[in-house]
Amino acid sequence: MKVSLNWLKKYVNLDGIPVSEIIHTLTMSGLEVEEVIDQNEIFKNFVVGFVKEKTKHTNADKLSVCKVSNGTDELQVICGAPNVDAGQKIVFAQIGAVVPNGNFKITKAKIRGTESFGMICSESELEISDNHDGIMVLPADVKEGTPISEALELNDVILEIAITPNRPDALSHFGVARDLSALFQRELKLPEINFEESSEPIEKFAAVEILDEVNCPRYSSKVVVNITVKESPAWLKKAVQKIGMRPINNIVDATNFVMFETGQPLHAFDLNMLNGNKIVVKSTKEESQFTTLDSKIRKLPLNTLLICDAEKPVAVAGVMGGENSEVTTETKNILIESAFFNPSSIRKTAKALGLSTDASYRFERTTNAGGTVYAAERAAQLIAELGGGKVAKGTLDVYPKIIEMPVVTLRFARVEKLLGYFIQPEKIKNIVTSLGFEITDENENEIVVKVPLFRPDVEREVDVIEEVARINGYDNIPTIASFSVPLGVKNDDSSFYDKVRDTAVGLGFFEMINNPLQNEKIAALTGSQIGVLNPQSLDMAFLRTSLIPGALMVASKNFNVGEKNLALFEIGNTFNKKSEGNLIKEFSDFTEDTKLLFLLSGKASLKEWYSDEKNISFYNLKGFINSFITNLALDNVLNDSYYHSEDRIFNLVFTKEHNGSVIGKGGRIKKEVLKQFDIQQEVFCFEFDMKVLEKLSTSKTKYIPLLKYPKMMRDFAFIFDDDVEYNDVASFIKKKGGSLLKSVRLFDLFESESLGSGKKSMAFELEYYDENRTLTDEEVEKDFTNLITLVSGEFKAKLRGN
Amino acid sequence: MLDEKIKSIHSEFKKEISGADNQKIIDEIRIKYLSRNGLVSVLFEELKSAPKEEKPLLGKRLNELRNSVTLMFEEAKEKVDASEKFSEHKIDLSLNGIARSIGSKHVLTQTLDEIKNIFKGMGFSVALGPELESDYYNFEALNFPHDHPARDMQDTYFINDNFLLRTHTTPVQVRIMEKQEPPVRAIMPGRVYRNEAVSARSYCMFHQVDGIYVDTNVNFAELKATLVSFAKQFYGSELKYRFRPSFFPFTEPSAEMDITCFLCHGSGCKICKGSGWLEILGCGMVDPNVFKSVNYDSEKYTGYAFGMGIERIGLLKYGIDDIRIYFENDLRFLKQF
Repeated sequence: MKVSLNWLKKYVNLDGIPVSEIIHTLTMSGLEVEEVIDQNEIFKNFVVGFVKEKTKHTNADKLSVCKVSNGTDELQVICGAPNVDAGQKIVFAQIGAVVPNGNFKITKAKIRGTESFGMICSESELEISDNHDGIMVLPADVKEGTPISEALELNDVILEIAITPNRPDALSHFGVARDLSALFQRELKLPEINFEESSEPIEKFAAVEILDEVNCPRYSSKVVVNITVKESPAWLKKAVQKIGMRPINNIVDATNFVMFETGQPLHAFDLNMLNGNKIVVKSTKEESQFTTLDSKIRKLPLNTLLICDAEKPVAVAGVMGGENSEVTTETKNILIESAFFNPSSIRKTAKALGLSTDASYRFERTTNAGGTVYAAERAAQLIAELGGGKVAKGTLDVYPKIIEMPVVTLRFARVEKLLGYFIQPEKIKNIVTSLGFEITDENENEIVVKVPLFRPDVEREVDVIEEVARINGYDNIPTIASFSVPLGVKNDDSSFYDKVRDTAVGLGFFEMINNPLQNEKIAALTGSQIGVLNPQSLDMAFLRTSLIPGALMVASKNFNVGEKNLALFEIGNTFNKKSEGNLIKEFSDFTEDTKLLFLLSGKASLKEWYSDEKNISFYNLKGFINSFITNLALDNVLNDSYYHSEDRIFNLVFTKEHNGSVIGKGGRIKKEVLKQFDIQQEVFCFEFDMKVLEKLSTSKTKYIPLLKYPKMMRDFAFIFDDDVEYNDVASFIKKKGGSLLKSVRLFDLFESESLGSGKKSMAFELEYYDENRTLTDEEVEKDFTNLITLVSGEFKAKLRGN
Repeated sequence: MLDEKIKSIHSEFKKEISGADNQKIIDEIRIKYLSRNGLVSVLFEELKSAPKEEKPLLGKRLNELRNSVTLMFEEAKEKVDASEKFSEHKIDLSLNGIARSIGSKHVLTQTLDEIKNIFKGMGFSVALGPELESDYYNFEALNFPHDHPARDMQDTYFINDNFLLRTHTTPVQVRIMEKQEPPVRAIMPGRVYRNEAVSARSYCMFHQVDGIYVDTNVNFAELKATLVSFAKQFYGSELKYRFRPSFFPFTEPSAEMDITCFLCHGSGCKICKGSGWLEILGCGMVDPNVFKSVNYDSEKYTGYAFGMGIERIGLLKYGIDDIRIYFENDLRFLKQF
């Protein structure tokens, strides 16, 4: 919110305090000053100028050449405005000035061959109004050379303060001034109401009735008659401009002024447009339509709180007035509304209408139920002064159930317990009273305070403690040199993920982090997708069901920028509905799983002086996955399974299973799938369920004593039919070999003409040992020879060589 | 007899090895002489049946034979190995080494690891929770009433009226406290979502670390000390800091912590928008209403909580000027960290 320092100074004396200290202190008390606009800075190099002479430009019909005095020098200035004339006092932007509208710097210029040393400004160029019908002419009695900031009273400092949602009181100059008064221990002086009322009672002009007391606990109003609607005086226009509003007319400007002064939103109705001269506050019982004063037709949902006259709605309560009762230049009599509405009702309406106004913004944060009459009177006083009307006698104040101020007990010991340091009770009392709280009772241990209704954020002891801490300054809270740490079990839920990351990195993979929001088609590829109600775009409307599609998008983008060789991994959550079409009512209606994905594509080895180029193949993927699993010590826990048949995503599929259930699956991505991602090269992916991996990996690794006796190696090669699979042979050897045979390794595989067509050669190395003794040649030879016979028989294979 | 054999094998070997000029012959020679059943091994077998008095001498000869043959074999092999790669029989030390590729963790993970290590060193556990969260855990239990403007502070992606993508990792605080009696001392890293238009400065998701400590005597001074210690370990011990009052529904009193801008050291620059300060985290004392949702006695227990964003740290620390780059996973980016 924009706050004017000059305006604040009307309520609290800040003499002798540098602006920088005010800003710092506000920020350090929770009213964070985000931006400072110093008008003195803006209007630097703008002075009052005097046009001594005006002649026509010789080369341009519409330009004048003026001699302008800035009090010390006489300068030649080219001006295009038709209304410029000799003898005028004008706003002179000297060389170096930066014109607010357009933000351009005045330099020495040559216009149509004639030099110009500055610029004569219009109101719009100074951004003090929209008027650009020529230059701004100043009163004759201002002295040339006077800084414009002084001459036009544009010497304010405007603070842009970020107000947190708990501080509706600070959405007003009163509120900010009250904090300053407490912070600097200066007295707060709020304006007194002082105006003449006519002899005619308000009841003669209007009546108010509340039908929905829950959503409108209080409705106060004043009536002003015989006013003249016209342009506001300069001071008021300037005041509303400073806080970022456009001046409209004296009535609207006055109500806005009071809103920014007190925080109470007001609305002025044209009383003559109110049928039956009556205000009725009620909620809609059915959906309806209404035209607000911005001439837009609004759809009103059920239970919208409305301000009505005897017959029809005239305003959407707390949000915006209606076109049908708006103050116009014809308006003579007005009714000023100053109400307290239920914050949640206003918020619902504003949300439903998609309309946030200065009024609704304040109402939904809770306004001061105790301040409605003051604000109405303050506005009536202003309007009577500005519009020349008469204020009807009395106030219509419908307040069926008085809202009591909260009473809170504050224990001094509790302040110390929560903040960690002792504050003198006298100081505490001083702080709370300077914030407008009333101490109703006290003893040596505690005080009882009554909290005014303009501080809806303060209801409990802890809230008062915050006020004390805030005003006393967080800087005064000490830090301590050491603290004790509770012992007991410490868990790190993320430790397994870290281990997995380390392994993946060691295998040469780079970690990616992808956006889980994607488009429906992509999310649907791999599961039963869950949609977001309010997405930013259709491309981010569904949650990923697997990490694969996101990884393929990344691969595609990388290929496009020339990064063709990828080894990537990701750990992330995926989301799936339990059953298609069901609604998510409970956590059990969907699954959120943590997955681990590996992606490989491009070259397994590059052409280098020491190596040949090789493409990544299915076997690279398998090798990496097996190394990964071995590193996690899960190689003896998981079984492999393979199939050629196609799945939705893969062909050449390979899975890791435990007790028959798949915990990881991958392979080569199908061409049709790759096409959807605009990928032309082969891509391999493997996805694990991290939770299951984690569970399995918690089984403790056990140390196996190192072998003390030598191993004996044997090898043989056979010629097989080429449809014989490696694993069938290896398993067979393993099964048929004796207990001394510990491992079987394929070390050579080839097909060649010399073997005959449809044949292949596989060579195996067999490892024999015993943990407790040295083997003899004879026993190994016996087993080995036996295996040769068995393999030859089982697979109709022919032993090679020798 | 054995002596003869030793001599003849030696000379035969010498002849053969001198003609070995490729890998294939080298392999054949190795198998013929030096393998388990090679000629040299066979002689050792024969030694067993030699007359006892000749054994020491023959044994010595045999060893000499083996050493000599092995040495000549290694030399020849080295020559062949080298000649197969180089035309000249020497190693060019200036050639690039034979590389092995190694990957890296995402820069956000690396940053998070650093943060985690600091807090683990201060005795915090690490807890995780779901991203698809209920309105109850994300808002209600954290003292965000329905229809309250505080909810506007966090633009939310809704799944429906009751479920949403969590806007902060703070709901994990509630989940821990529901399961455990005080003391509770943990940090909660994770991914969070905000329904904001994607731009260089904001993204629809980011990462956060929340922390909580609840016990019988936790106070604001300790919160301050803990976070100052963290900031000094993470950002450098020279930094200045300040705590400003702020507002979060789940803490009371609440604060934001600023540190001196590490680019300009407080004099004001583009990164700190001229203020000299950088906001790094939000914190405060756990609101009694949060304790109420988890059935903790707020008279008996007090606690502090804090939360910080990870992406921003990288933006500041590495000079990354566009938050989207984190999630594009361009290999050229990933390789830089």
